[in-house]
Amino acid sequence: MISFVAFSLRRAWQGFWRNGLMSLAATATVVLMLALLAGLIILLTGLDATLDYVQQEVQVVAYVKDSATAQDISGLEASLQRMPQVTQVNFVSKDQAYRDFLARHPDEADVIESLPTNPLPASLQINLRDPNDYLDVAGYLNGQPAVDRVMNIQQTVDQLVTVIGILRIGGTVILIVVGLIVLFTIVNTIRLAVVARADEIEIMRLVGASDAFIRWPFIFEGAFVGLLGAAITIGLLFLGQGPITSFLSDYFKVLPVEASATVGQNVALIVLGAGAGIGVLGSYLSVRSYLIR
Amino acid sequence: MAMVSAATPGPKPSQTRRPGERPHDAVSTRVVLAMQGVTKSYPNGRVALRGVDLIVPEGDFVFLVGPSGAGKSTVIKLLIRDEVPTKGVVLLDGRDLARLKRRDVPRIRRKIGIVFQDFKLLPNKTVRDNVAFALEVTGARRRDIDPAVDRVLQVVGLTGQANQLPGQLSGGEQQRTAIARALVHNPRLFIADEPTGNLDPLISWEIIQLLLRINDLGVTVLMATHNAEVVTAVRKRVVALENGRIVRDQTGAAYHRED
Ligand SMILES: Nc1ncnc2c1ncn2[C@@H]1O[C@H](COP(=O)(O)OP(=O)(O)OP(=O)(O)O)[C@@H](O)[C@H]1O
Ligand SMILES: [Mg+2]
Repeated sequence: MISFVAFSLRRAWQGFWRNGLMSLAATATVVLMLALLAGLIILLTGLDATLDYVQQEVQVVAYVKDSATAQDISGLEASLQRMPQVTQVNFVSKDQAYRDFLARHPDEADVIESLPTNPLPASLQINLRDPNDYLDVAGYLNGQPAVDRVMNIQQTVDQLVTVIGILRIGGTVILIVVGLIVLFTIVNTIRLAVVARADEIEIMRLVGASDAFIRWPFIFEGAFVGLLGAAITIGLLFLGQGPITSFLSDYFKVLPVEASATVGQNVALIVLGAGAGIGVLGSYLSVRSYLIR
Repeated sequence: MAMVSAATPGPKPSQTRRPGERPHDAVSTRVVLAMQGVTKSYPNGRVALRGVDLIVPEGDFVFLVGPSGAGKSTVIKLLIRDEVPTKGVVLLDGRDLARLKRRDVPRIRRKIGIVFQDFKLLPNKTVRDNVAFALEVTGARRRDIDPAVDRVLQVVGLTGQANQLPGQLSGGEQQRTAIARALVHNPRLFIADEPTGNLDPLISWEIIQLLLRINDLGVTVLMATHNAEVVTAVRKRVVALENGRIVRDQTGAAYHRED
């Protein structure tokens, strides 16, 4: 058993390098596919987290007209508090909004400080018991004279859902097409490996080698291609970790910090599994059609 | 492993032999191979064998002769189960080869050592590694391989050339390497399909001497050949095929019919 595994691995390794150029080309297509896969997973994870956040934290934000008086605002606050759908109401004054903005975007301090007046509106931030009540509360606010406009979160949510859906379907279709190309390349690589070993295979049959001894080296060779591709992809992702993380935190501010670590781990595992899987599948198909008789 | 006596599955020896030829004690001899009523037609319609009956007891040395296309190589392909008979039975060591499950074929093949006119050596492996290959690919343990290879290289007299590549060997030495590889599993039956076809007469003689020695060690030998000189000189059993039929089966015989 040990000698069988050792033998198969040794032959797979030899076979990989004997046909080096083709093997490396196949590996490159695997890297392409896995990089696409990883990119898609990372992007979708970010978008999904954003969607979750937005949906969970449904807060109605109503910008208050600058002309509204303190009485208007406290009256509005009180009537909102009485609504059964509302759990909490916070008032963010113009000054508070200004400070919040500076804290969040220190780079843009010059721009905003150079303005003659504070452009940021005061707002009411209303937390809801159930996100589905959003329209009721937003409708009520829209009718209030002190309210300038209600931020339409529903629209954001809908857009996000659409984008995620398109990405998911489009990405899957592209992945399937690329996957088929990769499969085809691996099948061909292993077919060439089988052809290169035709004499050896003939001798193996004559001296009574079992089918396992004849086939498994080729399966392992395909697995090598897939695993090497996965290793390279993971290496590339590791090198690109910095840019990827800052991309994630820039575009998906809501993503918790620790999430990027688990995302990285999951992506690495998926890449490894997908690489090995496609390598083994390709060589298995090749062995089936070119070797078994 | 079941051994078959010559009397059970095969035809009566007296039917395949002419009177006065090899006396054959059917009951007491172990039979290595038996063919009964074997017909083989290839998918393209060519009929290569027609009703062949052949029994080879253990320890026999058999020359399979006949003109080109007579069916000699077809007999061999049936024995190594490269082909299955269209009709009839082929028994090897008592096993019906046509009924063999796919996964049992390799084990049966290890009971047979075979060499061909083209030696089928791997050009990038040394003599030693070519021989060791047969053990490696059948799952032999590492520590058993070296002694077994040494032993057969000694039998064929290639100890000194163990580390040379086939390209650095004479034709005779290449064939001896192939013979060593065929012997390394301790086969019950040694088959040679025109082993001297690519060799000059002197070297051919060396190879025949080697096969006779292997036969002396107790291995049954079946050799298909066109080499009339050799066949006639060693006076062993001769089975002559013509057009897919056995037309002569004689012990101590010459290449050509002598009556
Ligand atoms: N794979 C095959 N498909 C079709 N016909 C075949 C096949 N192999 C052999 N034959 C035919 O079967 C007949 C017997 O061939 P075989 O190779 O057994 O002859 P042989 O006695 O070994 O001849 P030679 O002395 O030339 O080697 C021939 O007519 C040959 O053309
Ligand atoms: Mg022939």
